[in-house]
Formats: sequence, C-alpha cells, structure tokens
Amino acid sequence: MLKSTFTPIFWVLTPKPNPQNIPSKALTRNFFTNSTPLVRHNASLNPATPSTPASAYIHLPFCRKRCHYCDFPIVALGSASTQTHLDPRVSNYINWLCREITATKVNQPASSTPLQTVYFGGGTPSLVPPALVSSVLETLRVKFGLCEDAEISMEMDPGTFDAEKMREMVALGVNRVSLGVQAFQEELLRSCGRAHGVLEVHEAIGVVKSCGVENWSVDLIASLPRQSSEMWEESLRLTIESQPTHVSVYDLQIEQGTKFGRLYSPGEFPMPSETQSAEFYKMASRMLSDANYNHYEISSYCKSGYECKHNFIYWKNKPFYAFGLGSASFVGGLRFSRPRKVNDYINFVQNLENGLVDSSGDGHIQGKDTAMDVVMLSLRTAQGLDLRSFQESFGGSAVLSLLEAYKPYVESGLVVYLDEQRRTIRIDDLNYSFLNKPNTEKRVAYIRLSDPEGFLLSNELIALAFGVIDSWKDCFPYQEAEAT
Amino acid sequence: MGYLSKASRTLRQSNYLSLLCSLNFNPLTNRITHGRFSVTRELFCPQSRQYSTTTRDKSAIDLSQYPPELVRNFSIIAHVDHGKSTLADRLLELTGTIKKGHGQPQYLDKLQVERERGITVKAQTATMFYKHSVNGDDCSDGKESPNFLLNLIDTPGHVDFSYEVSRSLAACQGVLLVVDAAQGVQAQTVANFYLAFESNLMIVPVINKIDQPTADPDRVKAQLKSMFDLDPSDALLTSAKTGEGLEQILPAVIKRIPAPPGRSESPLRMLLLDSYYDEYKGVICHVAVVDGILRKGDKISSAATGQSYEALDIGIMHPELTPTGILLTGQVGYVVSGMRSTKEARVGDTIYHTRTAVEPLPGFKPAKHMVFSGLYPADGSDFEALNHAIERLTCNDASVSVTKETSTALGLGFRCGFLGLLHMDVFHQRLEQEYGAHVISTVPTVPYIFEFSDGSKLEVQNPASLPSNPKQKVTACWEPTVIATIIIPSEYVGAVITLVSERRGQQLEYSFIDSQRAFMKYRLPLREIVVDFYNELKSITSGYASFDYEDSDYQQADLVKLDILLNGQPVDAMATIVHSTKAYRVGRELTEKLKTVIDRQMFEITIQAAIGSKVIARETISAMRKNVLAKCYGGDVTRKRKLLEKQKEGKKRMKRVGSVDIPQEAFHQLLKVS
Repeated sequence: MLKSTFTPIFWVLTPKPNPQNIPSKALTRNFFTNSTPLVRHNASLNPATPSTPASAYIHLPFCRKRCHYCDFPIVALGSASTQTHLDPRVSNYINWLCREITATKVNQPASSTPLQTVYFGGGTPSLVPPALVSSVLETLRVKFGLCEDAEISMEMDPGTFDAEKMREMVALGVNRVSLGVQAFQEELLRSCGRAHGVLEVHEAIGVVKSCGVENWSVDLIASLPRQSSEMWEESLRLTIESQPTHVSVYDLQIEQGTKFGRLYSPGEFPMPSETQSAEFYKMASRMLSDANYNHYEISSYCKSGYECKHNFIYWKNKPFYAFGLGSASFVGGLRFSRPRKVNDYINFVQNLENGLVDSSGDGHIQGKDTAMDVVMLSLRTAQGLDLRSFQESFGGSAVLSLLEAYKPYVESGLVVYLDEQRRTIRIDDLNYSFLNKPNTEKRVAYIRLSDPEGFLLSNELIALAFGVIDSWKDCFPYQEAEAT
Repeated sequence: MGYLSKASRTLRQSNYLSLLCSLNFNPLTNRITHGRFSVTRELFCPQSRQYSTTTRDKSAIDLSQYPPELVRNFSIIAHVDHGKSTLADRLLELTGTIKKGHGQPQYLDKLQVERERGITVKAQTATMFYKHSVNGDDCSDGKESPNFLLNLIDTPGHVDFSYEVSRSLAACQGVLLVVDAAQGVQAQTVANFYLAFESNLMIVPVINKIDQPTADPDRVKAQLKSMFDLDPSDALLTSAKTGEGLEQILPAVIKRIPAPPGRSESPLRMLLLDSYYDEYKGVICHVAVVDGILRKGDKISSAATGQSYEALDIGIMHPELTPTGILLTGQVGYVVSGMRSTKEARVGDTIYHTRTAVEPLPGFKPAKHMVFSGLYPADGSDFEALNHAIERLTCNDASVSVTKETSTALGLGFRCGFLGLLHMDVFHQRLEQEYGAHVISTVPTVPYIFEFSDGSKLEVQNPASLPSNPKQKVTACWEPTVIATIIIPSEYVGAVITLVSERRGQQLEYSFIDSQRAFMKYRLPLREIVVDFYNELKSITSGYASFDYEDSDYQQADLVKLDILLNGQPVDAMATIVHSTKAYRVGRELTEKLKTVIDRQMFEITIQAAIGSKVIARETISAMRKNVLAKCYGGDVTRKRKLLEKQKEGKKRMKRVGSVDIPQEAFHQLLKVS
C-alpha cells in the first residue's frame, strides 16, 4: 500500500539535497507528507481492524564461524564447509523454516495483503544454496502472496558467493543486497574474527555491481578495537567510491557472552574512547552527507529513494512476520521471539503445527507501551515523531508533555521541532497555544533528534520521553498505533 | 526484633517440648541437686517467649523466698570485644538459666545489629537462681544451702548510651569489670569504670581471655592498680571460652557485692530500666523494685509523665518473660501495663503506686540529642513507607527525636536527633534490617548555636536552615564539644597527636598507663568526630587505638555555612557548617568527590562550593558525548526497549536539582568527606 502510492511521487519530487543543511530533511518532507494521510486513514486510526503484516523477516542462521562481537542466534558450520547444499543441517533447517511459514495462522486470505518486503537476515544468508532460498520464497508466495515489485533483501558476506550465485539469487527475485563489509582493513577484519579479508570485500563489491543489483548497501562497523580515525576515514572513503545506494554504519556494541565482551570494556583501550567514538559517528555523518547520502535513520544512509523499505516497517511500528531461529515477529500487537536453539526451535514449529502455540497476539496492547515503542522507533528516524498522529492516538496532553520535556534540548540543539512543512521552528517562536489550532503555520508537527548531536545522545533523549510517558495519568488502550 | 523467626523455630520444636513436658520435672530442684557444670535438664526453650510460660511449672518460682539478703543485682561492664556477652552466656548456662549449646550465642544481644557489631544497644536483664553456701561449706553437712536470686543487668557499653548505662547501674550494687588479658585497659574500660565508681558500686575485676597466647594478666593487674587503684589480688582470672576460672565468679558476686538496700515496708518505688514494644503484649518495661512490693493488678503511675496504668502482667526474665504475679524489694523483672508506646516509658523514670506520695528516684533526665541527620526515602514515593518504619522503630527506641522536614533535592523526609554517632548508625541499620527501609541520610551535623547582631540566637540542627546570606550579621557561633579519652600503644602517640590537632583538639591530659600504653584526654569539637574520626584513628594506629568520649560544653568557634551548587542552584541537602579554617579544603574535597559520582549528562555541569556568595571551589563535568544504540531492527525492539526503560528507571531513582540528576550514591559519598 505504501509503495504503490509514494514511489512515483517520490522520484519526481525529490529535490537535490541541500548542500549544507540536513539534506534528509528536504527529502523526507516529500517522502512522508505524501505517505502520512494514507497511513492514518488506513490503519493506525482505525483500532477495530488491526492491519495485517505485509513484511516478512527470514532468519538464515548459518555462518562459517562466529565473529567476535556477535551474539546473534547463529549456527557455525565450520570454515571447511563451502558446499552448503550438501550440508544436511542447512537443508533440514530450511525444511523446518518452510513448515513454520506454512503452519502460521493468518486472519485474512492471502490475496488481501501480499508481502511487500522480504528480508533474509542472518547469520550469513548468502551461504544458503539458491535452490533452498527459492523454496522459502515459494512457500511465502503460496502462504501470503508476494507483490510483483516486492523488496527482497538479502544480507551477503564477502567470500561466500560468486557471480554465478549472485545471478541465481537475482533470478529468484532478490533485488536488494546488504553487503557485510564491516571494514576495509585487513587487521581489523582479522581482529574481529571475520571469515573474509579485504580482497574478498573488493571482489564481492565487483560481483554485486556486475550482476546488476541496483539497490545495495555497504554495512560498516565503527569503533572497533584499535580502529584509528585514519582507518575509519579510509573505510568511509572506499565505501563512497564503490557507490552503493545505501550505507549502514553500526557502532560496535560490546555484548555480554561474546569474545569481545570477555576481552574489552566500552571506552577503555583498545576500544576507542567515548569522545573518539562520537567523532567517528560525526565523521560518517559528515562524509556520507557530503557524498549525497541522506542520514535517514540513526545508523542508515541512502541515496535518494533507496531507503530500506523493510527496515522502515520496524521504525513505523508496523506489523511484520518473522520466521526462523531466534527471530522476532510483531503480529496482532504481540512481539514474539522464537527459540534461539535449533532443537527448541524445532519443538516450537511442531507445537505450532499442532496448534499448541500461537505466535500472534489478539491485537490488545497497553497504550503506554505502544506510545513508548512509537517514540523510541520514530525518533530514530530523520522524519521524527509525527505529532498529529501521536495526538490522535494518545491525546493532546500527551503531546504537550513531550514538547515540554524536550524544550530545554531544543535550546541546546539536540532536539528539533518542525512545522507541517518540515521547517525548523525557532525556539523564540515556540508557543504551545498554537498546538490547539491545527492549521496554524507555526504548529509543531514533528519532533526529531538533530544530526549528529541528537542522534548521538538518542538513548538519553528517548529515555527522557519514556519517563514522561510513564508519568501519564491514563492512556487509551489503542490497539495499534504506528509511527509515521 | 526477629521474633517472627523465633516463632517459626519454636513451632518446629514443639513436639520435642511436649515430649519433655510429659516427664514432669521439677526444674528448680533438679537444678539444685546437680552440680554447677552438670547439664541442667530444665524444661526451657530459649527461643520462645510464648512457650516458656506453658512449659514451666509456674509454682516453681516463689519470689517470696528471696528477701533482699538473698538477692544480688549486678552488671557486666567492659570494653567492646573483651568478652562481656560470652561471659554473660556462660553465667546463664552455669545457673541453668539457658541450656548449654541450645541458646544462641550472645544470648542477651537480641537485635541483629547487636550481634553483627558485637555491641549491646538495649539493656537486658536476666534472673538466675544459684545455690551457694555462705560459709563456704558444701552441702554435705546436711544443712540446705540458701538459694540466691541473681539479676544480671546487661547494659549498653557505648558512650552514646551512657545515660541508659547510668540508669542500669543505678539498679545494681556491683559490677564485673571485664578486661581482656591481652589488650588490657581500654578507653571504654576507663569510661565504664568511672560510671560504676561514681555510682558507688562494688567493682569485681575480671581478667578474661586468659587462654590467649598473648595473655599477660600480671600486666593487666598492674594497670588496674595504677589506673583505678584496684587491688591486684581481687582480680579473678577467667576464660569464658574454655570455662577456666568461671566457678569463682558467682561466689565472688555473692560475697563481695552487697544486697540491695531497699526497704520492703516502704511505699513502692521502681526504676524503669528500659522498655520494648511487643506485637502482642504492647510495651514491656524492665524495672528494678527499689522499695516496696509490686503485685499483679496494682495501679501504678509514672513520675515523669504522671500517667497511670495497671500492672497487667508482672514477672521476671528467666531469661524469657516468666510471670510471677509479684516483684519484691530488690528484685528485677518486667511489667506489662498497657502502655501504648515506649515514648511513655522513659528510661530512668520512677514508677510508684497510684495515689501514694513518694520521692522520685534521683537522676532522671530526658534524652539529649547530640547528632542530627536528615533521613529521606531513597525512592521519593516511599515516604509513607519510611514514615511507617520510623514510627515503628521509635516505638522501640524512644530516644530518637523525629521531625518532618522538606528538602528541594530530596523531597519529604525527617530530621532525626540521636544520642550519638553509634546510636545514629544503629538506627539506620535497624531501619534497613528490621523494616526494609531504604534511606538516604544527609551528612550528620551537630547542634550549633548562632547569634545575630540583633541579639537573636538560632539553634541549627540542619545547615540548610541557616540563611546563606543572612540579613543580620552573625556575631558569634558556638559548637558542642566532647572530652575524648584515647588509649594507644606509645609508638602511635605522634600520629595521634597530629590527627587530633587537625581536628582542632585541645590536649587536657597525657600520661602513660604502663611502659607501653599512653593515655590521652582531649577536648574535641563534636563536629570533628562525627563522621570518620574513629576510622581514621583506627587506621593510623593499625587498629590498636581505643577511643571513647563524653559530652562537654559548648565553645565559641569561627563557623561558616558551606553551600554546594550544581549549575548555580544550591543543593540544600548538601549544605554543611564547617570551621572557617577548613572551609576551603572541605569545599575542594566535596566538589572533587561530587565530580566522581555524578554521571555525565547531556549538558555541562558545574559544581561549586560557596560561602555566602563567594565561590571557593569549582569543578566541571563535561557533557556526555554519545549514548546511542547502533541498530534497532525487528528483533531488537523488545530488548532495546527494556534497556531504555532501565535507563529511565535509573533516572527516576536519581534526585534532581534544577536539571541535574544526582545519584543517591552522591549523598552516601559525601558522608565520607568530613
């Protein structure tokens, strides 16, 4: 529903990014002002009919080995196994995965909401033989239907595919590649336990481009141990030179239970200091913006029109299916996580088939919980929180309480208030009485975090909003609300 | 007071008890015929107050058999850890009052805090029966030796409770002065000795722990002689641990300590020693009958409050509540009289028969509060819970003064006055242990007196209540002082003198107890010892120093109010009053400490210490640079959400001044800067 309406307008109306002002602002205005009314009428404000998911996440957990920072539910096959089509662990898993898809309850007939996005995440999905990927897509198509122009993304790691495999994937319908480059330095790749080197990175980029994948992303990790600003600058430069349409910049998180978790503490040598790490973030924001990438979400950059549609489903708090080991779905208002261990997962699928478990909710959610999700997710995006729809879901005083809480941070430049036309409202012009006159020019229509300072402190700022929402006296238990 | 846990233990034992009951012993005769060290088979359950009365043959105790001549009231006084509680345990076992190995150790220290710290906070009494032949002959001559009734009155040892100690001692005619055979005379030994000496009590020196390899009883005897003029040959040598020498103690008590001097025919006068609040019975008062006789059902009045009560239940502590229906002259026991709060039961009060005219016993004083601190709920919303906990605790400890106060930083709370530092500590600990209250306490302060140019005087119990820029000029200030006694091995004299002069101490006395130990007396401002003096003293003397103090006069001092400001806003709960010569140093220490405990926030924070409008120290905490979650996709939402909610909860627990969030830890840390 989204795609068909906005995509053409988007292409036509997108102006050239502002050379120095936040470029994404100009972009997202068009992007969202067009989609907003649609979404409002469609789903979020009609509590009686919770929307049916039009997106599916597929977890393909296989990796050659576990990276040192990784705490995902993965299955390490061992570096020797390149012939994954012969590995029964892979084919068995795909079998269970398809059984899960088939056994999932759906409320409406498949024809009503065919899938508009499918995302193969991992793990290393590119390790899975195309024939097995094909069976998954076929199962999805039978179960839910699949739009002709659906966005089908796949995470692919350098060194796990060649041109032939790439072409086969494209032939199956994969039209977006998220390439797990992480770094362009041999020593960094080695120290974080990646199964590939820099040579494979360049080869993979070549393969993706030569196979005609138009929409592809380079994924980078900032703040790796012993990463210098020169290295980071080089990675960003080489990324820009390879001309992907999308760049994801992840800040390394030290997770408990990982090798890094045992070796390092954030901010302590050899990890970069907090200041250094903030500088890395700002460098990425600056260099990528200068290269005409829009910073449309905290860790996502793209050329105009190449936002990852699947990921936007998450940030809009829209429902989505998820299948496979450890994956989390959001259906009928319930966030449901599947078991992270293969045997437990198989049990789960059997129970699902026998009707003993149900991974979808009844559409009933707590108002405050939804409000927190909406705020947390939408403030990650450059578009920010749409106050009009927030007010319709949670009331005018809810909006006022947020505006009040963020006011000091508007003054210090971490938060930006925008009007209906997505123009920044100067602090002197802030007058809350305008809020009650919806058509007034100076009404605050969006709250967003500034780039990069506000994004850098997003946890603090979002936690602040949580405190505000927590103190709300009461909240209408709307069944669904979406960040728009 | 842990009775709940006791009750549960009692239930487990009940089968065992009923079994024993069927054997139908006469506990008293049984005890008499067996020797001192024989295992007494008395039907006694040391864990239970409720059951002790039902399992005992009530007619067994006839107090009328014990005229004053057969009664001895005594106390044990000692420096901390010199073995007072263990000795008390042994005496209770020796007399069959508690069964050996069955009572919990340190029987009389009932509070968790007492056990943990090895101190006594509440006075306790225990009545023991002991057969002793006055002539020194044993029972073989066929003539029955008389039974003596011995009341052991356990007193708090610490100076904070010296008033309670003096009241307890007032009910005694003698004391066992227990000294560790290795450590010798310590500061509290000195203080306690003088309390007993001034009360004209017979002092029986007991040199304890003689089993230790480093024990040197002769040196201790020499110290007792030189310090207190106690005859070395009077000292009893014991080891409460091994039992060595214990058999001499009770004969010495009976021979040397005089019988209580009261007159049975006079009108009733009772001294109130301490009181407890019991869930079921209400207030239980421990009393010593000085003159006359108390019978169950008597109408009695309090001299301090004038209120009247009925003696609903009376008896002795043997060692649990054992009703006797009567208490005679010289005897010590308990009275349940329907008092609703221990505030009505003032330690040192005189209780007499209603509508009789008696002269109150001397020495009654209301509690004097020397240390004040603000107590606030750690979580602002817990005010009611804290209020309830404090109400319940003050039911059992009426010596704390409590008034409500409000702080801009900490919200609603209480200003509490304590008898001293230990008392304050114990109160905090009991709040947490017995009532589960989580509190933030402000830096303790002492009651200062400020005089202004218009002649008005202000007693300041809370530094925040003193205006930072008063309209009237301060013309004079006074602070309370103490006289401190310090006993240390002579090699530490230099270090201790340095410490004491840093604390503005003034030497009053300096001598040597023997060739190895120095004895010093200092006048010290109370403020200087309130926080960390004792710890500091312990650390510079490798733990060898002993320290005690008594309240003394107010002295004039040059005092200033030191404000702490965060981003220009004063934090009332952090204001202190300090001596002007120390203001700069304290200001610097406080700002440095705060810098380490306040987390970086989204803006820069300045921390200032100021006297009036003059800033004397300043630190800044730079703004936080980065706190961001790299990715947040479908599977991450729940997890990230939890993380952020945790962060929010963390913020909620913080105290806020202006826009600055202050962790509770900051208030605890400030206690460590004096």
